[in-house]
Amino acid sequence: MSNPYQPFKAKILNISDETPNIRTFVLEPEQEVRFLAGQFVELTVPGFGEAPFTPSSSQFERDRIEITIMKVGRATTALFKLGAGDMVGIRGPYGNPYPLNKFEGKEIFIVGGGVGLAPLRALFLALAHEINKYKKIYLRYGARSPKDIVYKKLIPEWKKMKGVDLDLSVDVGDETWKGKVGVVTILLKEIPCDLKNSVAVVCGPPVMMKFVTRRLLEIGFPDDMIYLSMEKNMSCGLGQCGHCRLGPYFTCKDGPVLTWDQIKDIKDPF
Amino acid sequence: MADKSLEWGLGHIRASEPIKGFFFSPREKVASFPEKFEPEDQKKRILFGVKACDLSALKVQQKMFLEGNFRDPFYDARLKNTILIAADCSEPEDTCFCNLMGNKPYATEGADMTLSVLDEGYLFEVMTGRGNELIDLGGDAFGPVTDAQVARRDENHKAAVDKLNRINPRSWNPDLAKAIEGKIQDEAFWRRHAESCVECYGCLLACPTCFCFLLYDEAKQTGVERTKVWDACYMAAYARVGGGANPKAEFLKRFMNRFFCKFVHFKNEHGFYACTGCGRCIKGCMGKIDIRKVLAEL
Repeated sequence: MSNPYQPFKAKILNISDETPNIRTFVLEPEQEVRFLAGQFVELTVPGFGEAPFTPSSSQFERDRIEITIMKVGRATTALFKLGAGDMVGIRGPYGNPYPLNKFEGKEIFIVGGGVGLAPLRALFLALAHEINKYKKIYLRYGARSPKDIVYKKLIPEWKKMKGVDLDLSVDVGDETWKGKVGVVTILLKEIPCDLKNSVAVVCGPPVMMKFVTRRLLEIGFPDDMIYLSMEKNMSCGLGQCGHCRLGPYFTCKDGPVLTWDQIKDIKDPF
Repeated sequence: MADKSLEWGLGHIRASEPIKGFFFSPREKVASFPEKFEPEDQKKRILFGVKACDLSALKVQQKMFLEGNFRDPFYDARLKNTILIAADCSEPEDTCFCNLMGNKPYATEGADMTLSVLDEGYLFEVMTGRGNELIDLGGDAFGPVTDAQVARRDENHKAAVDKLNRINPRSWNPDLAKAIEGKIQDEAFWRRHAESCVECYGCLLACPTCFCFLLYDEAKQTGVERTKVWDACYMAAYARVGGGANPKAEFLKRFMNRFFCKFVHFKNEHGFYACTGCGRCIKGCMGKIDIRKVLAEL
Protein backbone atom coordinates (compact mmCIF):
# COMPACT_ATOMS: atom_id res chain seq x y z
CA MET A 1 0.00 0.00 0.00
CA SER A 2 1.38 3.41 -0.89
CA ASN A 3 2.17 5.89 1.83
CA PRO A 4 0.02 9.01 1.36
CA TYR A 5 2.17 11.14 3.68
CA GLN A 6 5.30 10.53 1.61
CA PRO A 7 6.34 13.26 -0.85
CA PHE A 8 8.50 12.58 -3.85
CA LYS A 9 11.22 14.75 -5.29
CA ALA A 10 10.69 17.72 -7.58
CA LYS A 11 13.54 19.78 -8.98
CA ILE A 12 13.23 23.53 -9.22
CA LEU A 13 13.99 24.32 -12.87
CA ASN A 14 13.39 28.04 -12.80
CA ILE A 15 12.15 30.82 -10.55
CA SER A 16 10.77 34.11 -11.79
CA ASP A 17 9.70 37.18 -9.86
CA GLU A 18 6.09 38.16 -10.37
CA THR A 19 5.95 40.91 -7.73
CA PRO A 20 8.22 41.88 -4.82
CA ASN A 21 6.76 39.01 -2.73
CA ILE A 22 5.32 36.61 -5.31
CA ARG A 23 7.36 34.21 -7.42
CA THR A 24 6.57 31.51 -9.95
CA PHE A 25 8.45 28.25 -9.44
CA VAL A 26 8.80 25.85 -12.35
CA LEU A 27 9.12 22.32 -10.99
CA GLU A 28 10.06 19.04 -12.59
CA PRO A 29 8.62 16.25 -10.42
CA GLU A 30 10.34 12.86 -10.57
CA GLN A 31 6.97 11.30 -11.28
CA GLU A 32 3.96 12.82 -12.99
CA VAL A 33 1.48 14.84 -10.94
CA ARG A 34 -1.66 14.42 -13.00
CA PHE A 35 -3.56 17.39 -11.65
CA LEU A 36 -6.63 19.01 -13.16
CA ALA A 37 -7.24 22.75 -12.88
CA GLY A 38 -8.41 23.59 -9.37
CA GLN A 39 -6.73 20.66 -7.64
CA PHE A 40 -3.84 21.36 -5.30
CA VAL A 41 -0.57 19.76 -4.24
CA GLU A 42 1.32 19.67 -0.95
CA LEU A 43 4.80 21.10 -1.35
CA THR A 44 7.57 20.20 1.06
CA VAL A 45 10.27 22.77 1.69
CA PRO A 46 12.93 20.45 3.11
CA GLY A 47 13.30 21.05 6.82
CA PHE A 48 10.71 23.80 7.01
CA GLY A 49 7.43 22.00 6.50
CA GLU A 50 4.74 21.47 4.01
CA ALA A 51 2.00 23.69 2.60
CA PRO A 52 -0.79 23.41 0.01
CA PHE A 53 -0.57 25.22 -3.33
CA THR A 54 -2.68 25.10 -6.44
CA PRO A 55 -0.61 24.78 -9.61
CA SER A 56 -0.97 27.67 -12.02
CA SER A 57 0.22 25.92 -15.18
CA SER A 58 -1.84 24.04 -17.71
CA GLN A 59 -3.19 20.64 -16.76
CA PHE A 60 -2.25 19.51 -20.26
CA GLU A 61 1.45 20.07 -19.61
CA ARG A 62 2.61 16.88 -17.94
CA ASP A 63 6.34 16.95 -17.28
CA ARG A 64 6.57 20.21 -15.40
CA ILE A 65 4.39 22.18 -13.04
CA GLU A 66 4.36 25.89 -12.35
CA ILE A 67 3.28 27.18 -8.99
CA THR A 68 2.96 30.85 -8.19
CA ILE A 69 3.59 31.48 -4.52
CA MET A 70 3.40 34.46 -2.19
CA LYS A 71 5.89 34.72 0.65
CA VAL A 72 3.73 34.76 3.78
CA GLY A 73 4.99 32.33 6.41
CA ARG A 74 7.69 29.94 7.55
CA ALA A 75 7.63 27.47 4.66
CA THR A 76 7.28 30.05 1.91
CA THR A 77 10.03 32.24 3.38
CA ALA A 78 12.33 29.21 3.29
CA LEU A 79 11.17 28.36 -0.22
CA PHE A 80 12.12 31.84 -1.41
CA LYS A 81 15.70 31.16 -0.31
CA LEU A 82 15.96 28.21 -2.73
CA GLY A 83 17.19 28.51 -6.28
CA ALA A 84 17.14 26.68 -9.60
CA GLY A 85 18.51 23.15 -9.20
CA ASP A 86 17.34 22.81 -5.60
CA MET A 87 15.01 20.01 -4.61
CA VAL A 88 11.61 20.24 -2.98
CA GLY A 89 9.05 17.56 -2.15
CA ILE A 90 5.64 17.20 -3.71
CA ARG A 91 2.59 14.98 -3.20
CA GLY A 92 -0.87 15.12 -4.69
CA PRO A 93 -2.96 16.14 -6.49
CA TYR A 94 -5.74 16.57 -3.96
CA GLY A 95 -9.26 17.98 -3.95
CA ASN A 96 -11.75 18.40 -6.73
CA PRO A 97 -11.02 20.13 -10.02
CA TYR A 98 -13.22 22.76 -11.62
CA PRO A 99 -16.11 20.91 -13.28
CA LEU A 100 -15.17 21.90 -16.82
CA ASN A 101 -17.85 19.67 -18.33
CA LYS A 102 -20.47 21.76 -16.55
CA PHE A 103 -18.85 24.92 -17.92
CA GLU A 104 -19.18 23.84 -21.55
CA GLY A 105 -21.31 26.09 -23.74
CA LYS A 106 -21.36 28.76 -21.05
CA GLU A 107 -19.87 32.17 -20.51
CA ILE A 108 -17.21 31.93 -17.82
CA PHE A 109 -16.83 34.99 -15.64
CA ILE A 110 -13.55 34.75 -13.73
CA VAL A 111 -12.67 37.17 -10.94
CA GLY A 112 -9.24 37.14 -9.32
CA GLY A 113 -7.61 39.13 -6.57
CA GLY A 114 -3.88 39.35 -5.89
CA VAL A 115 -2.09 36.02 -5.90
CA GLY A 116 -5.53 34.45 -6.30
CA LEU A 117 -4.97 34.73 -10.03
CA ALA A 118 -2.52 31.81 -9.75
CA PRO A 119 -5.05 28.94 -9.55
CA LEU A 120 -7.28 30.83 -11.97
CA ARG A 121 -4.45 30.79 -14.49
CA ALA A 122 -4.59 26.98 -14.48
CA LEU A 123 -8.33 27.24 -15.11
CA PHE A 124 -7.85 29.89 -17.80
CA LEU A 125 -5.25 27.74 -19.60
CA ALA A 126 -7.52 24.68 -19.41
CA LEU A 127 -10.39 26.70 -20.88
CA ALA A 128 -8.16 28.29 -23.52
CA HIS A 129 -6.91 24.84 -24.56
CA GLU A 130 -10.38 24.01 -25.86
CA ILE A 131 -11.75 27.51 -26.20
CA ASN A 132 -14.41 26.58 -28.73
CA LYS A 133 -16.20 24.58 -26.07
CA TYR A 134 -16.99 27.75 -24.12
CA LYS A 135 -19.08 30.67 -25.24
CA LYS A 136 -16.84 33.38 -23.86
CA ILE A 137 -14.25 33.88 -21.14
CA TYR A 138 -14.30 37.03 -19.05
CA LEU A 139 -11.38 37.69 -16.72
CA ARG A 140 -11.50 40.44 -14.12
CA TYR A 141 -8.42 40.93 -12.00
CA GLY A 142 -7.59 43.30 -9.19
CA ALA A 143 -4.26 43.87 -7.47
CA ARG A 144 -3.19 46.29 -4.76
CA SER A 145 -0.92 48.34 -7.00
CA PRO A 146 0.59 48.03 -10.50
CA LYS A 147 3.71 46.38 -9.08
CA ASP A 148 1.54 43.75 -7.33
CA ILE A 149 0.05 42.47 -10.60
CA VAL A 150 1.13 38.88 -11.33
CA TYR A 151 1.71 37.50 -14.85
CA LYS A 152 2.45 41.00 -16.19
CA LYS A 153 3.86 39.58 -19.43
CA LEU A 154 1.10 37.05 -19.97
CA ILE A 155 -1.91 39.28 -19.36
CA PRO A 156 -1.46 41.34 -22.57
CA GLU A 157 -1.29 38.07 -24.55
CA TRP A 158 -4.46 36.75 -22.91
CA LYS A 159 -6.18 40.03 -23.69
CA LYS A 160 -5.53 39.55 -27.40
CA MET A 161 -7.04 36.06 -27.47
CA LYS A 162 -10.26 35.57 -29.39
CA GLY A 163 -13.17 34.81 -27.10
CA VAL A 164 -11.50 36.48 -24.11
CA ASP A 165 -12.58 39.73 -22.47
CA LEU A 166 -10.11 40.93 -19.85
CA ASP A 167 -10.10 43.92 -17.54
CA LEU A 168 -7.86 44.98 -14.65
CA SER A 169 -7.91 47.35 -11.75
CA VAL A 170 -5.53 48.31 -8.98
CA ASP A 171 -6.51 49.56 -5.53
CA VAL A 172 -3.89 52.29 -5.71
CA GLY A 173 -2.34 53.48 -8.99
CA ASP A 174 1.02 55.06 -9.71
CA GLU A 175 2.49 57.31 -12.39
CA THR A 176 2.82 54.39 -14.85
CA TRP A 177 -0.73 53.10 -14.42
CA LYS A 178 -3.27 54.14 -17.04
CA GLY A 179 -5.94 51.60 -16.18
CA LYS A 180 -8.77 51.55 -13.70
CA VAL A 181 -8.26 52.36 -10.03
CA GLY A 182 -10.36 50.86 -7.24
CA VAL A 183 -11.02 47.53 -5.56
CA VAL A 184 -11.88 44.68 -7.92
CA THR A 185 -15.62 45.12 -7.45
CA ILE A 186 -15.42 48.30 -9.58
CA LEU A 187 -14.93 45.90 -12.49
CA LEU A 188 -18.23 44.24 -11.60
CA LYS A 189 -20.47 47.28 -11.94
CA GLU A 190 -21.64 46.01 -15.26
CA ILE A 191 -21.44 42.38 -16.16
CA PRO A 192 -22.01 41.67 -19.82
CA CYS A 193 -22.82 37.97 -19.37
CA ASP A 194 -26.09 36.28 -20.11
CA LEU A 195 -26.85 35.25 -16.53
CA LYS A 196 -29.01 32.37 -17.66
CA ASN A 197 -25.99 30.74 -19.24
CA SER A 198 -22.99 31.81 -17.18
CA VAL A 199 -20.80 30.65 -14.33
CA ALA A 200 -18.66 32.84 -12.11
CA VAL A 201 -15.33 31.65 -10.70
CA VAL A 202 -13.67 33.60 -7.91
CA CYS A 203 -10.32 33.31 -6.16
CA GLY A 204 -8.63 35.84 -3.93
CA PRO A 205 -8.22 36.94 -0.34
CA PRO A 206 -11.22 36.09 1.89
CA VAL A 207 -12.46 39.67 2.17
CA MET A 208 -12.30 40.09 -1.61
CA MET A 209 -14.26 36.87 -2.15
CA LYS A 210 -16.87 38.00 0.32
CA PHE A 211 -17.53 41.28 -1.47
CA VAL A 212 -17.27 39.80 -4.96
CA THR A 213 -19.77 37.08 -4.02
CA ARG A 214 -22.12 39.70 -2.61
CA ARG A 215 -21.88 41.66 -5.86
CA LEU A 216 -22.38 38.58 -8.06
CA LEU A 217 -25.50 37.69 -6.10
CA GLU A 218 -26.82 41.25 -6.46
CA ILE A 219 -26.37 41.04 -10.20
CA GLY A 220 -28.30 37.79 -10.24
CA PHE A 221 -25.82 34.94 -10.56
CA PRO A 222 -27.54 31.81 -9.23
CA ASP A 223 -26.08 30.45 -5.97
CA ASP A 224 -24.89 27.24 -7.61
CA MET A 225 -23.17 29.08 -10.47
CA ILE A 226 -20.67 30.90 -8.25
CA TYR A 227 -17.50 28.83 -7.73
CA LEU A 228 -15.28 29.96 -4.87
CA SER A 229 -11.79 28.84 -3.85
CA MET A 230 -12.26 28.06 -0.16
CA GLU A 231 -8.75 27.02 0.83
CA LYS A 232 -8.45 26.62 4.58
CA ASN A 233 -5.61 24.99 6.53
CA MET A 234 -5.35 22.00 4.19
CA SER A 235 -2.59 20.32 6.12
CA CYS A 236 -2.78 16.64 5.15
CA GLY A 237 -4.69 16.98 1.86
CA LEU A 238 -6.20 13.54 2.47
CA GLY A 239 -9.46 14.42 4.20
CA GLN A 240 -8.20 13.14 7.53
CA CYS A 241 -6.40 15.65 9.74
CA GLY A 242 -9.38 17.92 10.38
CA HIS A 243 -7.72 21.34 10.11
CA CYS A 244 -9.47 22.52 6.95
CA ARG A 245 -12.97 22.01 8.34
CA LEU A 246 -15.47 24.44 6.83
CA GLY A 247 -18.96 23.63 8.06
CA PRO A 248 -19.74 20.10 6.86
CA TYR A 249 -16.76 20.03 4.53
CA PHE A 250 -13.09 19.27 4.66
CA THR A 251 -11.98 21.76 2.01
CA CYS A 252 -9.08 19.50 0.99
CA LYS A 253 -11.46 16.68 0.10
CA ASP A 254 -14.79 18.33 -0.69
CA GLY A 255 -13.24 21.50 -2.14
CA PRO A 256 -11.15 23.51 -2.35
CA VAL A 257 -13.56 24.89 -4.93
CA LEU A 258 -17.09 25.04 -3.55
CA THR A 259 -20.15 26.82 -4.88
CA TRP A 260 -21.90 29.55 -2.94
CA ASP A 261 -24.88 27.22 -2.81
CA GLN A 262 -22.77 24.72 -0.87
CA ILE A 263 -21.45 27.20 1.68
CA LYS A 264 -24.14 29.87 2.04
CA ASP A 265 -25.60 28.34 5.22
CA ILE A 266 -22.23 28.13 6.98
CA LYS A 267 -21.59 30.73 9.65
CA ASP A 268 -18.83 33.15 8.50
CA PRO A 269 -17.69 31.00 5.55
CA PHE A 270 -14.94 33.40 4.51
CA MET B 1 -12.13 -20.71 38.70
CA ALA B 2 -11.67 -17.11 37.72
CA ASP B 3 -8.07 -16.09 38.21
CA LYS B 4 -8.08 -12.85 40.22
CA SER B 5 -4.71 -11.87 38.77
CA LEU B 6 -6.44 -11.37 35.44
CA GLU B 7 -8.75 -8.74 36.81
CA TRP B 8 -6.45 -5.91 35.80
CA GLY B 9 -7.37 -6.67 32.24
CA LEU B 10 -11.03 -7.05 32.89
CA GLY B 11 -11.61 -3.96 35.07
CA HIS B 12 -15.00 -2.57 35.82
CA ILE B 13 -14.97 0.03 33.04
CA ARG B 14 -12.75 1.18 30.19
CA ALA B 15 -9.11 2.03 30.88
CA SER B 16 -8.28 5.69 31.39
CA GLU B 17 -6.60 5.84 27.97
CA PRO B 18 -8.53 4.82 24.89
CA ILE B 19 -7.19 1.99 22.72
CA LYS B 20 -7.02 4.27 19.68
CA GLY B 21 -3.32 4.94 20.34
CA PHE B 22 -2.51 1.33 19.52
CA PHE B 23 -3.56 2.06 15.92
CA PHE B 24 -3.46 5.84 15.49
CA SER B 25 -0.20 6.45 17.27
CA PRO B 26 0.09 9.59 19.44
CA ARG B 27 3.39 10.30 17.67
CA GLU B 28 4.97 8.46 14.80
CA LYS B 29 7.27 8.95 11.84
CA VAL B 30 5.25 8.72 8.63
CA ALA B 31 7.55 10.05 5.92
CA SER B 32 11.05 11.23 5.19
CA PHE B 33 12.77 13.23 2.50
CA PRO B 34 14.58 12.80 0.18
CA GLU B 35 14.82 9.10 1.16
CA LYS B 36 11.37 7.54 1.12
CA PHE B 37 9.88 5.99 4.23
CA GLU B 38 7.49 3.07 4.10
CA PRO B 39 5.55 1.38 6.89
CA GLU B 40 7.46 -1.36 8.66
CA ASP B 41 6.08 -4.81 9.31
CA GLN B 42 3.91 -4.83 12.40
CA LYS B 43 4.21 -7.40 15.13
CA LYS B 44 1.13 -9.45 15.83
CA ARG B 45 -0.51 -8.63 19.13
CA ILE B 46 -3.59 -9.14 21.22
CA LEU B 47 -5.51 -6.37 22.94
CA PHE B 48 -7.22 -7.96 25.89
CA GLY B 49 -10.11 -6.61 27.92
CA VAL B 50 -11.28 -3.98 25.43
CA LYS B 51 -14.56 -2.32 26.32
CA ALA B 52 -17.47 -1.84 23.95
CA CYS B 53 -17.17 1.96 23.96
CA ASP B 54 -13.62 1.75 22.64
CA LEU B 55 -14.61 -0.80 20.03
CA SER B 56 -17.32 1.56 18.73
CA ALA B 57 -14.78 4.35 18.66
CA LEU B 58 -12.57 2.30 16.35
CA LYS B 59 -15.36 2.48 13.77
CA VAL B 60 -15.04 6.26 13.75
CA GLN B 61 -11.29 6.07 13.31
CA GLN B 62 -11.59 3.49 10.56
CA LYS B 63 -13.95 5.75 8.62
CA MET B 64 -11.28 8.42 8.70
CA PHE B 65 -8.13 6.41 8.16
CA LEU B 66 -9.23 3.43 6.09
CA GLU B 67 -12.47 4.19 4.31
CA GLY B 68 -11.88 7.63 2.79
CA ASN B 69 -10.12 8.50 -0.45
CA PHE B 70 -6.76 7.62 1.07
CA ARG B 71 -5.87 4.73 3.33
CA ASP B 72 -3.38 5.16 6.13
CA PRO B 73 -1.02 2.18 5.71
CA PHE B 74 0.31 2.52 9.26
CA TYR B 75 -3.16 2.26 10.76
CA ASP B 76 -4.10 -0.53 8.38
CA ALA B 77 -1.06 -2.68 9.24
CA ARG B 78 -1.62 -2.31 12.97
CA LEU B 79 -5.29 -3.16 12.78
CA LYS B 80 -4.68 -6.20 10.59
CA ASN B 81 -2.14 -7.55 13.04
CA THR B 82 -4.20 -7.06 16.17
CA ILE B 83 -6.58 -9.51 17.74
CA LEU B 84 -9.22 -7.79 19.82
CA ILE B 85 -10.63 -9.54 22.85
CA ALA B 86 -13.40 -7.61 24.51
CA ALA B 87 -14.63 -7.81 28.08
CA ASP B 88 -17.89 -6.74 29.69
CA CYS B 89 -18.20 -3.65 31.86
CA SER B 90 -19.38 -4.93 35.21
CA GLU B 91 -19.70 -1.66 37.11
CA PRO B 92 -20.36 1.42 34.94
CA GLU B 93 -19.23 4.64 36.60
CA ASP B 94 -21.15 7.85 37.05
CA THR B 95 -19.36 9.38 34.04
CA CYS B 96 -20.38 6.55 31.70
CA PHE B 97 -23.19 7.29 29.24
CA CYS B 98 -22.87 4.69 26.52
CA ASN B 99 -26.55 3.89 26.95
CA LEU B 100 -27.43 7.39 25.76
CA MET B 101 -25.26 6.95 22.68
CA GLY B 102 -27.01 3.74 21.68
CA ASN B 103 -24.23 1.48 22.93
CA LYS B 104 -24.13 -1.37 25.42
CA PRO B 105 -21.75 -1.99 28.34
CA TYR B 106 -20.71 -5.21 26.62
CA ALA B 107 -19.39 -5.95 23.14
CA THR B 108 -21.81 -7.05 20.45
CA GLU B 109 -19.48 -6.50 17.49
CA GLY B 110 -16.08 -5.14 16.56
CA ALA B 111 -13.93 -7.67 18.46
CA ASP B 112 -12.71 -11.15 17.58
CA MET B 113 -14.14 -12.53 20.77
CA THR B 114 -15.57 -11.19 23.99
CA LEU B 115 -15.44 -12.53 27.49
CA SER B 116 -17.63 -12.29 30.53
CA VAL B 117 -16.43 -13.01 34.05
CA LEU B 118 -18.43 -15.66 35.88
CA ASP B 119 -17.67 -16.99 39.38
CA GLU B 120 -16.27 -20.23 38.09
CA GLY B 121 -14.35 -18.94 35.09
CA TYR B 122 -14.65 -16.92 31.88
CA LEU B 123 -17.34 -17.20 29.28
CA PHE B 124 -16.00 -16.51 25.80
CA GLU B 125 -18.17 -15.65 22.88
CA VAL B 126 -16.52 -15.88 19.49
CA MET B 127 -17.27 -13.11 17.00
CA THR B 128 -14.93 -13.74 14.07
CA GLY B 129 -13.00 -16.50 12.35
CA ARG B 130 -9.87 -15.28 14.07
CA GLY B 131 -11.65 -15.73 17.39
CA ASN B 132 -12.48 -19.29 16.40
CA GLU B 133 -8.83 -20.01 15.64
CA LEU B 134 -7.90 -18.79 19.11
CA ILE B 135 -10.40 -21.13 20.73
CA ASP B 136 -8.95 -24.00 18.67
CA LEU B 137 -5.45 -23.06 19.78
CA GLY B 138 -6.62 -23.03 23.39
CA GLY B 139 -7.58 -26.70 23.18
CA ASP B 140 -8.50 -28.11 26.56
CA ALA B 141 -8.41 -24.72 28.24
CA PHE B 142 -11.88 -24.15 26.82
CA GLY B 143 -14.86 -26.27 27.70
CA PRO B 144 -18.53 -26.21 26.79
CA VAL B 145 -20.82 -23.55 28.19
CA THR B 146 -24.04 -24.38 29.96
CA ASP B 147 -27.35 -22.61 29.44
CA ALA B 148 -27.24 -21.57 33.09
CA GLN B 149 -23.88 -19.85 32.54
CA VAL B 150 -25.22 -17.99 29.51
CA ALA B 151 -28.25 -16.96 31.54
CA ARG B 152 -26.02 -15.62 34.31
CA ARG B 153 -23.92 -13.72 31.77
CA ASP B 154 -27.11 -12.17 30.40
CA GLU B 155 -28.21 -11.22 33.91
CA ASN B 156 -24.89 -9.47 34.49
CA HIS B 157 -25.33 -7.61 31.21
CA LYS B 158 -28.77 -6.51 32.28
CA ALA B 159 -27.51 -5.38 35.68
CA ALA B 160 -24.90 -3.16 34.00
CA VAL B 161 -27.50 -1.72 31.62
CA ASP B 162 -29.84 -1.07 34.56
CA LYS B 163 -27.07 0.72 36.39
CA LEU B 164 -26.40 2.91 33.35
CA ASN B 165 -30.07 3.73 33.14
CA ARG B 166 -29.97 4.80 36.78
CA ILE B 167 -26.88 6.95 36.16
CA ASN B 168 -28.44 8.54 33.08
CA PRO B 169 -32.17 8.33 33.63
CA ARG B 170 -33.13 11.03 31.17
CA SER B 171 -32.59 10.66 27.49
CA TRP B 172 -32.07 13.64 25.21
CA ASN B 173 -33.20 14.88 21.85
CA PRO B 174 -32.98 11.80 19.61
CA ASP B 175 -31.76 13.92 16.70
CA LEU B 176 -28.68 15.53 18.23
CA ALA B 177 -27.43 16.61 14.80
CA LYS B 178 -30.51 18.67 14.13
CA ALA B 179 -30.66 19.98 17.70
CA ILE B 180 -27.05 21.19 17.58
CA GLU B 181 -27.48 22.72 14.15
CA GLY B 182 -30.46 24.57 15.53
CA LYS B 183 -28.17 26.20 18.07
CA ILE B 184 -25.64 27.52 15.56
CA GLN B 185 -26.64 31.14 16.05
CA ASP B 186 -27.16 30.86 19.83
CA GLU B 187 -23.76 32.08 20.98
CA ALA B 188 -25.03 32.59 24.54
CA PHE B 189 -25.74 28.86 24.83
CA TRP B 190 -22.24 27.88 23.76
CA ARG B 191 -20.61 30.64 25.76
CA ARG B 192 -22.37 29.45 28.89
CA HIS B 193 -21.13 25.90 28.46
CA ALA B 194 -17.62 26.95 27.42
CA GLU B 195 -17.26 29.35 30.32
CA SER B 196 -15.28 27.09 32.65
CA CYS B 197 -13.09 25.58 29.89
CA VAL B 198 -9.40 26.26 30.51
CA GLU B 199 -8.40 25.04 27.03
CA CYS B 200 -6.30 22.17 28.35
CA TYR B 201 -7.53 19.94 25.44
CA GLY B 202 -7.70 17.02 27.87
CA CYS B 203 -11.18 16.09 26.67
CA LEU B 204 -9.98 15.79 23.09
CA LEU B 205 -6.74 13.96 23.80
CA ALA B 206 -8.64 11.46 25.99
CA CYS B 207 -11.38 11.03 23.39
CA PRO B 208 -11.39 7.64 21.67
CA THR B 209 -12.94 9.03 18.48
CA CYS B 210 -10.96 12.28 17.95
CA PHE B 211 -8.90 11.78 14.82
CA CYS B 212 -7.26 15.16 14.21
CA PHE B 213 -3.54 15.15 13.67
CA LEU B 214 -0.71 17.45 12.76
CA LEU B 215 2.12 16.70 10.36
CA TYR B 216 5.39 18.41 11.13
CA ASP B 217 8.80 18.21 9.55
CA GLU B 218 12.18 18.28 11.25
CA ALA B 219 15.59 18.54 9.64
CA LYS B 220 17.79 15.63 10.78
CA GLN B 221 21.30 14.72 9.72
CA THR B 222 19.97 12.12 7.31
CA GLY B 223 17.32 14.40 5.86
CA VAL B 224 13.83 15.49 6.71
CA GLU B 225 11.67 13.46 9.03
CA ARG B 226 7.90 13.88 8.99
CA THR B 227 6.05 13.16 12.21
CA LYS B 228 2.34 12.73 12.70
CA VAL B 229 1.06 13.69 16.15
CA TRP B 230 -2.36 13.86 17.73
CA ASP B 231 -3.85 17.30 17.46
CA ALA B 232 -6.95 18.89 18.94
CA CYS B 233 -9.34 21.45 17.48
CA TYR B 234 -9.24 23.45 20.75
CA MET B 235 -5.65 24.49 19.98
CA ALA B 236 -5.50 28.21 19.16
CA ALA B 237 -3.53 27.75 15.93
CA TYR B 238 -5.59 24.80 14.77
CA ALA B 239 -7.15 26.51 11.72
CA ARG B 240 -4.46 29.15 11.14
CA VAL B 241 -3.13 29.36 7.61
CA GLY B 242 0.16 30.62 6.21
CA GLY B 243 0.23 34.39 6.56
CA GLY B 244 -1.64 34.27 9.85
CA ALA B 245 -5.34 34.36 8.96
CA ASN B 246 -7.23 32.22 11.45
CA PRO B 247 -10.87 31.43 10.77
CA LYS B 248 -11.22 29.86 14.22
CA ALA B 249 -9.25 32.44 16.19
CA GLU B 250 -12.06 32.83 18.69
CA PHE B 251 -12.19 29.97 21.20
CA LEU B 252 -15.96 29.76 21.04
CA LYS B 253 -15.72 28.66 17.40
CA ARG B 254 -13.32 25.89 18.38
CA PHE B 255 -15.50 24.85 21.31
CA MET B 256 -18.47 24.62 18.95
CA ASN B 257 -16.37 22.73 16.43
CA ARG B 258 -16.04 19.83 18.86
CA PHE B 259 -19.81 19.42 19.05
CA PHE B 260 -20.47 20.06 15.36
CA CYS B 261 -17.73 17.65 14.31
CA LYS B 262 -18.86 14.77 16.52
CA PHE B 263 -22.62 15.12 16.44
CA VAL B 264 -23.49 16.95 13.22
CA HIS B 265 -20.93 16.56 10.45
CA PHE B 266 -19.76 13.05 11.26
CA LYS B 267 -23.33 11.84 11.70
CA ASN B 268 -24.49 13.43 8.46
CA GLU B 269 -21.57 12.03 6.50
CA HIS B 270 -21.22 8.57 8.01
CA GLY B 271 -24.55 7.83 9.65
CA PHE B 272 -23.46 7.64 13.28
CA TYR B 273 -22.17 9.93 16.01
CA ALA B 274 -18.46 10.28 16.71
CA CYS B 275 -19.10 9.80 20.42
CA THR B 276 -19.48 6.49 22.20
CA GLY B 277 -20.37 7.69 25.70
CA CYS B 278 -17.12 6.56 27.32
CA GLY B 279 -17.17 9.59 29.60
CA ARG B 280 -13.42 10.25 29.55
CA CYS B 281 -14.00 13.89 28.58
CA ILE B 282 -16.19 14.34 31.65
CA LYS B 283 -13.84 12.59 34.01
CA GLY B 284 -10.79 14.51 32.81
CA CYS B 285 -12.29 17.98 32.66
CA MET B 286 -10.72 20.52 35.01
CA GLY B 287 -13.58 22.90 34.31
CA LYS B 288 -16.16 20.26 35.22
CA ILE B 289 -17.81 20.49 31.82
CA ASP B 290 -20.18 17.57 31.39
CA ILE B 291 -20.93 16.86 27.75
CA ARG B 292 -24.18 15.20 28.84
CA LYS B 293 -25.36 18.47 30.32
CA VAL B 294 -24.59 20.33 27.09
CA LEU B 295 -26.46 17.76 25.02
CA ALA B 296 -29.38 17.58 27.45
CA GLU B 297 -29.88 21.33 27.32
CA LEU B 298 -30.09 21.55 23.54
